[in-house]
Amino acid sequence: MNKFRLTRWLISLPPTLFLLIFFAVPSLIMIVTSFRFPGEYGGLAPLTAPETTAAEGDSGLYGMTLEAYHFFFSDILYAEIFLKSFVVATTSTLICLIMAYPVAMLIAQSAKKYRNLMILLVVLPFASNFLIRIYAWMIILGPESAFSHFINSVLQAFGFEPVMMLFSPFAVLVGTVYVHLPFMILPLYTNLEKHDPVLLDAAQDLGANRWQRFWLVTWPQSLPGVFSGSALVFIPVLGMFAIPDILGGTGDILIGNLIKDQFLGTRDWPFGSTLSIMLMLAVLCVTGLFTLLARPRVPR
Amino acid sequence: MKLGYTLMGLFCLLIIALTGCTSEDQVAGNLSGKNGNILRLFNWNNYISQQTIERFEQTCQCRVTQDYYSDNEELLAKLAAGATGYDLLVPTGDAMDTLIHQGALNVLDKSQIPNLKNIDPSYLGTVFDPDNRYSVPYAYTTTLIGFNREKLAELNLPTDSWAIIFEPEYLKKIKGRITVLDSQRELMAAALKYLGYSASDTDENHWQQAKALIIRAKPYWAAFSNTSYIRELAIGNLWVAHGYSNDMYQAALDAKKTGRRFSVDFVIPREGAVLSLDSMVLHHSGHRPDLAHRFINFMLEGKNSAELTNLTGSGNPNLAARPYIHPEIIANHAIFPDTAQLSRLEMLHDINHTQRRLLSRIWTEIKLR
Repeated sequence: MNKFRLTRWLISLPPTLFLLIFFAVPSLIMIVTSFRFPGEYGGLAPLTAPETTAAEGDSGLYGMTLEAYHFFFSDILYAEIFLKSFVVATTSTLICLIMAYPVAMLIAQSAKKYRNLMILLVVLPFASNFLIRIYAWMIILGPESAFSHFINSVLQAFGFEPVMMLFSPFAVLVGTVYVHLPFMILPLYTNLEKHDPVLLDAAQDLGANRWQRFWLVTWPQSLPGVFSGSALVFIPVLGMFAIPDILGGTGDILIGNLIKDQFLGTRDWPFGSTLSIMLMLAVLCVTGLFTLLARPRVPR
Repeated sequence: MKLGYTLMGLFCLLIIALTGCTSEDQVAGNLSGKNGNILRLFNWNNYISQQTIERFEQTCQCRVTQDYYSDNEELLAKLAAGATGYDLLVPTGDAMDTLIHQGALNVLDKSQIPNLKNIDPSYLGTVFDPDNRYSVPYAYTTTLIGFNREKLAELNLPTDSWAIIFEPEYLKKIKGRITVLDSQRELMAAALKYLGYSASDTDENHWQQAKALIIRAKPYWAAFSNTSYIRELAIGNLWVAHGYSNDMYQAALDAKKTGRRFSVDFVIPREGAVLSLDSMVLHHSGHRPDLAHRFINFMLEGKNSAELTNLTGSGNPNLAARPYIHPEIIANHAIFPDTAQLSRLEMLHDINHTQRRLLSRIWTEIKLR
């Protein structure tokens, strides 16, 4: 028993170290960076130059300062962007859930020999590059595309104004849902596949109709799958920047875009790090919530 | 559980394989001489002709490798994050300013660059590098307005003024068919120019006026776009775009090649615009300054320099290149501005971090409102 435990430790040590080092070290760098002064030409101000920083009205302590946090909290604008990103992430997650659930159920209930093929089909889009798939949506949603012409001719037939689908919040939602849908389907399927069909039979015997059987038997059992799928969609969407950059319109800025801007256009590392830390805290809160909710309800 | 162990084992193997590979590469690199007789270029995408490179490789008996960036911010960010080993960079003026102040550039040995005499003196001695100690002009672009000529004539809209991207009375006819650059500095510069200020103005009041102008026009714009406007203009999805002259040249060429029923044209607005002069500079991390100097001198030869302009439609400060450039490019005043236009063009200056943060805040507000 003791020997077995030792082997287990030895084997799991390298990946654990890998995760620890490559998670902890960058996070620490980021935390320290967020308390520094930005350099005149980008990067960070040297730690040993208090005279230059004193001119900004904040002398700091050993070249460390709360200035970036002060800037973040003194402006409602940044809270608005966080709120907006949460709304986009929540909406995408809900749409993914509604679309993924029937698919996952279909796969879980089909004959075993087809399941692997169906899972393969769900995963297949990953075989092509993420950016190429997003650019493909640019073509599909573009104003001169066949799809756009069809939608607009239908709208016109009913007397509505034609719409521009590309460069809109709608396009951003289409992109995020499209990219993240498999991340919702897979955990849901793994969960639904394990359900014991006997329970449904029992419910039927007790007089439950189709709807009651789903709502009272299948749904509560699938909650852990729902929550882990939701976390897998919600968290990446919260930090993404490429999709709003490519498909979004003039108002589609999310925290991801803002952070990217700090490191590229503005070259303001401390503020970029502060934003990243705030995002990380927000994600941690949400993950904590999901883990709490995803605990299996039925004690086994 | 067993599967888990197998995966871990595989992972360890992978790590060993990967680290093994890199050390082998290094050995190979060392074997082929002192840093491999390689000139390492950090250049813009599509900013040199393949034939030019091949010809240089033949004359110098060396190899040229290129890494690419798509904007100055990317260049600065990658260098700041520790990218090294580049002999030559091709930054725009304001980025070069930053690099000079960071002490990241080496001083040029002009005795090795006799072809410097080919450069039009009006492009030498910029504010960023008054004596050209660090930099040699390579090519330039202007930031201007590209448009669908037939569509705008049909709608009877002006094409020679920033008003087309800022005035609601014009914008309402092209709603959703116009994009502007996703660049804080460039869009502010256009707005400041339209308001009659300098493109590099840093007065906060003027910035606030520019912000108001941009927010008023924003509902009519389809998107902020830095690259996709080239394709969208060429296929007719967009009718107006704020962008760079060489990109507009590509869009016009694409529309012509694919036989569209419209043509793409581009004009420098009469209020003036931003001139981006890209220069060749030596990065201090380079291993082969000798090759870098030879390359600079080689690129200053008229024929080699002209190849770049014929390929990309960039402006060219090299007088010796003129005879080799396609006449229709020379005749295009949006690429080769006349003296009157040149006097209205301005180069962007770098701004300090307090100004950058303020601008970023304004930019965030513009995006959110």
